[in-house]
Amino acid sequence: MDLLDLIDTVQSVADGVLFGATYALLGIGFTLIFGVMYKINLAYAAASIGAAYASLLILAGVKAQPILVFLAAAGCGGIIGWLIYLVGFRFIPLANPLATLMSTVGLLLLIDEIIVHTTAGVPLNYPALFADVIIRAGPFNLRGDLLFVFALGCLCMVVLLLMLYRTQLGLATRAVSQQPVAAQLCGISITAVNALTFIVTGFLGGIAGAMIGAAIGMLSPLLSLPLTVKGLIVTVIGGLGSIPGAIIAGLVVGGLENVFQFFRGVSERDLYVMLLLFAFLVFRPRGLFASPHVGD
Amino acid sequence: MLKGYAALAALGAIAAFGLAAPASAQERTVKITGFGAKSGVVRVFGINSEAALKAAAEQINNAGGVTLGDGSKAKFVIEFLDDRCNAEEGISVVRRIASTDAFVAVGPTCSNVAESLFGILQKKVGDTSDSGLQFPIIADVAAKGGLAKISEWAFRNVPSEFEMYKSLFAWLKTQHPQLKTIYGGVEKDFAHSNATFGVMKAQAEANGLQILGQGEWLLADTTFSTQVREMRRANADIVAISAHPFTTCGVLKEMDRQGVKPKLLIGLTSSSSIETLQGCAKQAEGIIIPTSFAPVTPEATKAAEQVAKFGGSADLHSAAAYEIMFILKDVIEQQKIMAKPDTVAADRDKMRQGLAALKETNGLLGKVGRTADREAIKPFLYVHAKDGSWQVLYKPAS
Repeated sequence: MDLLDLIDTVQSVADGVLFGATYALLGIGFTLIFGVMYKINLAYAAASIGAAYASLLILAGVKAQPILVFLAAAGCGGIIGWLIYLVGFRFIPLANPLATLMSTVGLLLLIDEIIVHTTAGVPLNYPALFADVIIRAGPFNLRGDLLFVFALGCLCMVVLLLMLYRTQLGLATRAVSQQPVAAQLCGISITAVNALTFIVTGFLGGIAGAMIGAAIGMLSPLLSLPLTVKGLIVTVIGGLGSIPGAIIAGLVVGGLENVFQFFRGVSERDLYVMLLLFAFLVFRPRGLFASPHVGD
Repeated sequence: MLKGYAALAALGAIAAFGLAAPASAQERTVKITGFGAKSGVVRVFGINSEAALKAAAEQINNAGGVTLGDGSKAKFVIEFLDDRCNAEEGISVVRRIASTDAFVAVGPTCSNVAESLFGILQKKVGDTSDSGLQFPIIADVAAKGGLAKISEWAFRNVPSEFEMYKSLFAWLKTQHPQLKTIYGGVEKDFAHSNATFGVMKAQAEANGLQILGQGEWLLADTTFSTQVREMRRANADIVAISAHPFTTCGVLKEMDRQGVKPKLLIGLTSSSSIETLQGCAKQAEGIIIPTSFAPVTPEATKAAEQVAKFGGSADLHSAAAYEIMFILKDVIEQQKIMAKPDTVAADRDKMRQGLAALKETNGLLGKVGRTADREAIKPFLYVHAKDGSWQVLYKPAS
């Protein structure tokens, strides 16, 4: 490996880690729902992309500032999250894990087709902040828009952690997650907490969708499925139910993906990411940070 | 007096109705079924093909329709089915079409569908040991080279990308002899992009360009920094990108960020579309793409307007569908197709024979040659992205 290769490797890791912030945001959404309900919401990434699309559609014709588009995406994400809860979870027997899993598979496909039928599958431009900013540090370049995505992702994670550990809603969420029966006996409505969890994660998903759109510069229905897979990988590697785990795993997966791409090429890149997933499932099935389940 | 006029008008209306009723009862229709992707990420191709078929059908119908074998006139009716760009769906759709009175179908969108679908057709006409489907299909979009060879029932009105890139690289050699090196980029998991990249590479080498390497990515990839860094290190004179608009734009944007400015950019035929300009007009500025459609003739301009009226966009793919309707009209009339339920098998056979016998057809940019292996040799031109639109750069002599 010569110096140029070394520089490119470091640059690849840096780019991947910055983009990995979007994986982390998706991973948090998956993990939060799993942490509270012990259910996997496979429609989460599609809903996130759907929210980003919705923000473009509702602001179509208005020359909106990017930040306004991002806020609209977050709002749409919250609404879509609540709708997903209503359609895919609220009236489906939660005791049967397969029922909700399949309902979210159906919702994933439904959201994807709605996007395709609304846009004819044509990629749409998505606004970005600091898209023209490149920070140069010696031989390395850092994209301004990715740094913004990274910073916003970190901010969202901090706000979410504060919400979980410093608010009544967070307390209720953790109570339902850890001791649902005891939480009910204390007067906490499980249905309300579940719905709010979907709204909060939907809000986060909307931001994730917007950040993905901003990082790529475009939105395409092509994104839903690969991002669903990435979100799940991040959730498993980080540890099901662990928010710090999802954050670290998102950044790690983003960085490793670029390293695999650099050394082994595109045809083998995803193979190694999958091998990493299998390695975790076999040798560390609880992921990086998940603690053993101590619920009811 | 007024009462008299009213009575006369009523009589006139009754007479007109009485005369018109038998005429409309006799009016015949010929249903042409198109099929292609109308869901999933390539839905826009299906929308454009359907619009083009309908626009051409309306033109033909307005001019009196098509003359059938018994001398009667018929109007075209278009139906368009979705194959989801999926080979199994495509086969199922065509089996469904073949179970009706249809004597020809137009499609599909995706090369992977065409490849599998043509495989279920009878390979050689008259081979009694081959139980393959005996049903003529003419493709409008599926672009991978040489697909019609699979079956004698398969036809295509698709431009030859081999001829287009052969011509383009030969032209570049004469226009830009100072350019010596090329770097490629390819969307590895898409049949069309991959196949065309092979053509680009072969033609670049044949014209003396040194290939410095290639970057690869997937259709749904979101980051291209690693590939573009390799491209930057290669520092080639020409960069050729064989990818569809979504990743073409992703790569062009990353090239812009990393300051990769080749002396010349070449793109994939399918990227000479409005999607590329919507996605990255600034970064795509100057990219040269060969295409078999641009609104540069009165016919092509009119076709583009008509297709837009039906909610589609005329490009090199949908223009082929538009032309196909006129080809079908001519073949129906030449072969005296009856279009009756009891003549279906004979009509299909005559349709196949008629399509196979074609030596030349009328295209929107000029005469289209037909090859012995049922492919088209279409006129083409080179366009380049300039000031946010596609403009004609050069039209090679046909």
